[in-house]
Amino acid sequence: MKGTHMRRYRRAGLQRGGIELRQLLRNPKELSGHLTNVAVALALAAYIGDDVPGTQTPMAHLVLAGFAAYLLFQIGLVNLPQMLVTEREEGALLRLRATPGGIPAYLIAKCVLVVGTAVGTLALLLLSAAVLVDGPLPHGPGGWLTLLWVTTLGLLAVVPLGAAIGAVLPNPREALALIMLPTMGLLVTSGAVFPITSLPVPVQQVASVFPLKWMAQGLRSALFPDSARAAEAAGSWELPMVALVLTAWAVLGSLLAVPLLRRAARRESGSRLSARHRKAAQSGAMPG
Amino acid sequence: MTPTHTSASDVVVEARDVTMAYGDVDVLRGVDLDIHRGEVFALLGPNGAGKTTTVEILEGFRRRSAGDVRVLGTDPERGDDAWRGRLGLVLQSWRDHPRWRVAELLAHFAAYYPDPREPAELLALVGLTDQAGRQVNRLSGGQRRRLDVALGIVGRPELLFLDEPTTGFDPEARHEFHLLVERLAREEGVTVLLTTHDLVEAERLADRIAMLVGGRIRAHGTPAELARRAAAQAEVRWTADDGTPRRERTGDPSRLVWELHRDADGPIAGLEVRRPTLEDTYLHMVHRAADGTDATADGEARAA
Repeated sequence: MKGTHMRRYRRAGLQRGGIELRQLLRNPKELSGHLTNVAVALALAAYIGDDVPGTQTPMAHLVLAGFAAYLLFQIGLVNLPQMLVTEREEGALLRLRATPGGIPAYLIAKCVLVVGTAVGTLALLLLSAAVLVDGPLPHGPGGWLTLLWVTTLGLLAVVPLGAAIGAVLPNPREALALIMLPTMGLLVTSGAVFPITSLPVPVQQVASVFPLKWMAQGLRSALFPDSARAAEAAGSWELPMVALVLTAWAVLGSLLAVPLLRRAARRESGSRLSARHRKAAQSGAMPG
Repeated sequence: MTPTHTSASDVVVEARDVTMAYGDVDVLRGVDLDIHRGEVFALLGPNGAGKTTTVEILEGFRRRSAGDVRVLGTDPERGDDAWRGRLGLVLQSWRDHPRWRVAELLAHFAAYYPDPREPAELLALVGLTDQAGRQVNRLSGGQRRRLDVALGIVGRPELLFLDEPTTGFDPEARHEFHLLVERLAREEGVTVLLTTHDLVEAERLADRIAMLVGGRIRAHGTPAELARRAAAQAEVRWTADDGTPRRERTGDPSRLVWELHRDADGPIAGLEVRRPTLEDTYLHMVHRAADGTDATADGEARAA
């Protein structure tokens, strides 16, 4: 009995994820948000001509690997929280809470959507870069395997954290403002767009706490020839450290996300929803 | 007032002495409710009377401070998914799933239930067949609310909550919505708990009405019973010899008028006998609660 319910909820969740993915593809505004990153990365890669100092690796490749990591980072920590906050504000979370199996299905759908978006934009970036600007692709099965696990672990590091952030942020507009600044700061300081070694050591140390640096480093190890590791801060890819830091963020994110999401869902009720809509209407921010 | 000899399984909602306090503010001060299978029950009260709080306690969205509640035989605070599946909800301010198409959204929510209604039939029932392919955020307010009703009943709920469903509607949308609720109750046998601040709406739709004012149920019964009870105490007004206006409520106005004539030994200035309507009674209760002169003793309001 319980099993058939869970199967039904899982099916509803997968169906929901599929529909949301299709809606993303039909929505030019939201789609362009994802494509802009790809376009910027390609433009930068086409423009930059130098090599990474001390290697034969083109700087363009470092930028492409960095943007690939940033795509994942942004999906987890910017797009996902924004989506969660928006859907909470509109009442989707409340409706699903009032529906049997609604919350598990919602989580499944969000996983489908996040993984679909991440894989789609990552593939688009790497393939179009390979075709248009001679971008890097993994060398041999080992490289593909590294790409797979760094991507997976990178998503696991940022998605639960993004869900936790989405559960506590007040409303979509403030959410964006609160998240964008630190995210852009990390993009610059994590060695994603130029070698991290050119930054002061304290900045490197701060950036090393956050997952983006390790995601970019892991992707470089997947995409670059082994000789390129000479340009890394430690002179090696530090893959065990990549795995360790990303796993730590995944665990921390999950520990935060589960109770915070549960609390966010529990707190939703009709009167809170109308109170928020009234406030939003007064500030003229939400269409009547 | 209402016969209580119905069997336990006919009672869909049972609340006893439910209280709710936020800090030192008492929102509910001992609410009792009995809602029976198949009836349309209106919880009538002004804004701020505690209607939404009451409904959210019944829906399991809010923890009560004290009291006993059973909804479909279960304490809402312990309601599981199977219990949730037997309820339908239509809230005031849902704006969710704006980019979904009407039929797509309905078909999706049907997927959560073991024995859902056919989405196409449901669209016909709520009058949205022509809008099936339309994006949800392009619906009018009335259409959106009818879609909410369709979503509320797609899982064949035994009890449907309608929280202030016609707020902000124009008269035509309101009329259409009333027809829909009547059809649901009469043809589909859905038990409906409706909250409203509109007495006319409550009288029109409800089999029984409970008036919630100041966190208490001040009166309950069928619209006819309430009207009869409201009219039971007639109000007699006249002007006394010294010129002061007088007013008295009595169950026997004829005797009072006869006594006045006997004492006055002549015509009575400004004599007037009124049977209060249900609306008079309701407004009287609401005003008294608003004035803070919120005593427990109803009726017998003498003034000089």
